[in-house]
Amino acid sequence: MWIRFKRDRTGVISAYVVAFFFLVGLLAPVIANLYGKNPYTVYADERPELFDSAGVPVQPNGGISGEFWFGLEPGNGYDVFTKLLYGIRTSLMISVAVTLATVLTGILLGVTAGYLGGRADYWISRVIDFLLAFPAQLFFIASMPVVVSLFVSPRDETPVYVRVVALILVQWFLGWMSLGRILRGTTLALREREFIDAAKVSGAPPGRIIRKEILPNVVTPILVQGTYMLPNFVTAEAGLSFLGVGIVEPTPDWGQMFAKASTELVMQNDITYMFFPGISMIVFIVAFNLLGDSVRDAFDPKTAR
Amino acid sequence: MGRSGRHTRAVISVLAAGVLVLTGCSSGGSKSGGNDKEQQENAERQKALIKFGDAAASKGPAAEVPGAKPGGTISVPARDSYAHLDPAQIYVFNEMGVALLLHRGLTGYKATSNDGKEHEVVGDLATDSGTTTDGGRTWKYTLKDGIKFQDGSAITSADIRHSVERLFAPFINQGPPYLQQWLADTPGSDYRKLLPDGPFKGKHLPDSVLETPDAKTVVFKFKKPHPDLPYALAMTGYAVVSQKGDTKEKYDKAPVVSGPYKIESFRSGKSMVLVKNTNWDPATDPIRHQYVDRFTITFNQQYEDSTKALVADSGTDRTAVSWQNSVDAGNLSKVLGDPKMKPRTVIGYQPFVGQININLSHKPMQDKKVREAIAYALPVSPFVRAYGGSAAMEVAGGIISPTVSGYDPSFDPWGKKKNPAGDPAKAKKLLEEAGKVGTKLTFGYVNSQEGQAYSTAMAAGLEKAGFDVQRQEIPAETYFDQVSKLNNNYDIFHTSWAADWPSASTVIPPLYDGRVIAEGAQNYSQVDDPRINSEIDRISRIADPAKAAAEWQKLAEYIVKDVVNIVPTAYYKQVQIAGSKVGGVVYDDVIGGVDPRRLYVK
Repeated sequence: MWIRFKRDRTGVISAYVVAFFFLVGLLAPVIANLYGKNPYTVYADERPELFDSAGVPVQPNGGISGEFWFGLEPGNGYDVFTKLLYGIRTSLMISVAVTLATVLTGILLGVTAGYLGGRADYWISRVIDFLLAFPAQLFFIASMPVVVSLFVSPRDETPVYVRVVALILVQWFLGWMSLGRILRGTTLALREREFIDAAKVSGAPPGRIIRKEILPNVVTPILVQGTYMLPNFVTAEAGLSFLGVGIVEPTPDWGQMFAKASTELVMQNDITYMFFPGISMIVFIVAFNLLGDSVRDAFDPKTAR
Repeated sequence: MGRSGRHTRAVISVLAAGVLVLTGCSSGGSKSGGNDKEQQENAERQKALIKFGDAAASKGPAAEVPGAKPGGTISVPARDSYAHLDPAQIYVFNEMGVALLLHRGLTGYKATSNDGKEHEVVGDLATDSGTTTDGGRTWKYTLKDGIKFQDGSAITSADIRHSVERLFAPFINQGPPYLQQWLADTPGSDYRKLLPDGPFKGKHLPDSVLETPDAKTVVFKFKKPHPDLPYALAMTGYAVVSQKGDTKEKYDKAPVVSGPYKIESFRSGKSMVLVKNTNWDPATDPIRHQYVDRFTITFNQQYEDSTKALVADSGTDRTAVSWQNSVDAGNLSKVLGDPKMKPRTVIGYQPFVGQININLSHKPMQDKKVREAIAYALPVSPFVRAYGGSAAMEVAGGIISPTVSGYDPSFDPWGKKKNPAGDPAKAKKLLEEAGKVGTKLTFGYVNSQEGQAYSTAMAAGLEKAGFDVQRQEIPAETYFDQVSKLNNNYDIFHTSWAADWPSASTVIPPLYDGRVIAEGAQNYSQVDDPRINSEIDRISRIADPAKAAAEWQKLAEYIVKDVVNIVPTAYYKQVQIAGSKVGGVVYDDVIGGVDPRRLYVK
């Protein structure tokens, strides 16, 4: 299987690209430190000579220079390079957390439903059906402010971690069902197989059967689903921040950079800005989806795509 | 002046990702800024006192606009529909704009130059701007001959009396309160006790307050001198209402007008069409013109939309001009940088001055050193930037606007003009002296795009000085309700205020008089300083406007520099553009926008 994956050139390249993004996200503070800037400095006030009074960088292409590699953000003049690094970091962090949470929930409920069957299966499946019927995007938009306000004290600013936790919570809440359903089906099929019967006859407790016999056999769908879900969560998180209900300024975030790029100020004066979050996100999503395909092919070479 | 007109600048971000086609590069920011000098001169001229004109100056018709010719239709994109058309209910910006064409009052501002910068208060319905013989206690007005409502009936002193008396009726609750308070000689809303039902139940104001001895004469009698009366009467809120045609609440939708245009149709939230009022006699009116046949006003036009349409300049947009919509912040650099747009662009001041209020009801804010540290540290450049740069906002030194008598351009106690990004080092020193490093500041900001942008950068500046800034967003719709609560959570927050006429007497008393602190009132910083209070009383009694202006400026300097309950941020400006076929486009400093009375079709 590993050999099959290595033979797939696209898959390997995608894997490198994806790994690069994760590395960038992980090392953002280190890179920013070496580069000597951070995404919170208001350069429009620190270095007013680089901006006109409306906060548009005076140099063309958003003030790209040897000093500011990706230019400066119109408005408050944040450094685009570090902002992008930290933005990737925030977005990937949230998405990885959501993926882990949904995968765990999916395994827990899906395998339970499939293995136990009967009433447990019935109720878990109804819950899955019920949650699947929710319009996810609308639910996110409507519930984000509510979830955030649950945590906030009246005299303090909404701390960033509250928004992060809220983002993870709402996406987790409506994210685990598809995986749960798949695992339920797989487990249901596995349950009837001879080796499980054999294990039962030999007196293995259910916990052991699930851990030792079932879980190793559902790793494939978990991995495949996981690699499909993560880029989806990245775009969903970006979408929420784009709509203004996710991460807000000044905390850097990928999606929020798109929101900034679509404002009239940036659109009219510095279209170059759009390319940095735009291209990086396209590359990441495409690479991750190709990786997902390759992983699936490697695990399961017989099915056609 | 009403606040709602300016503050609901809800910016709708356009999801126009499709625009990202093949425009690979973008040029840099505009290098403009050369017209700063010119702006300063505008202000200089404005601050020269607006005089009260005599009978000769009040004679119609108004001087011709050079090159003007009659006929044609002008379309007017507007953002907000008109909630009120009854003059007594009009107190917000956009409604005052249309009222210039519809309603006439006893006095009005006459532009004495063709650039909208020099003005004089003259008699509009009255033969002059008013005569007083006892320093402003008694004011006498005589009505002109030939003045009529749109239905052809003559305007008499009975209509003026009716217009004044109905201000006391309960359903009139949106307009300015000055004249009523002066007549009743009480502050606040107690004036309504003078005539609780207005004139509608047969009761009238006694001759000791308002006298109309014959059909042409009106005499106002106050207990205290009110030398500002001609200014006050020029407000739309005191324009004439027809006694015969008064339909009370319904008048708000269909008023009987006296100006050069009347309403042909009005669909609230959609459109309004104005046509010529044939019963308006230009010979009686020193202020207005009637060149255009029709104005078609379309509502719900956001700033981005109207800017793009006017820049594109095609079809009916060539004869379009917006009275209130300014160029939106995002397009501002581009419009100002385009030489083709120059002849179609006008720039001027609005009467608003922005300020960061420091909430004195909170214990930590009562330490003057802390307030001074805030004043030094606070960057005002983010505010200017958020609204589109120096063409939309000018860094303020004090609280007296350049459009108000007594403005002193050199007054700048916190060095904001030279260094708008603030002086965190000095602030830090003050905080250390006071032992208050790490003071928590709860910063309430309006959750608009602009509010978001300037509050983050302001917070960054304050944090550099050693404050612990906690930003709290407040929804735009309830912003003023929240910050004008006596018991609110915010240590600092931004508000703006405009003078009702070019005198600080409509700025300082409502904002800084400690005796008017009340739930929902405008003393946002809740300052109650005995010297401010006593000075307000003293200066209000000065009859000479020039002397009063100088004294107000002195008091304003004391407030900004010694009390430090507020930090001035910016004088509001605005850039407006018109279609290429519209003539007579002039930015009028008194109106604070394009003067609709001078427009014609080329």
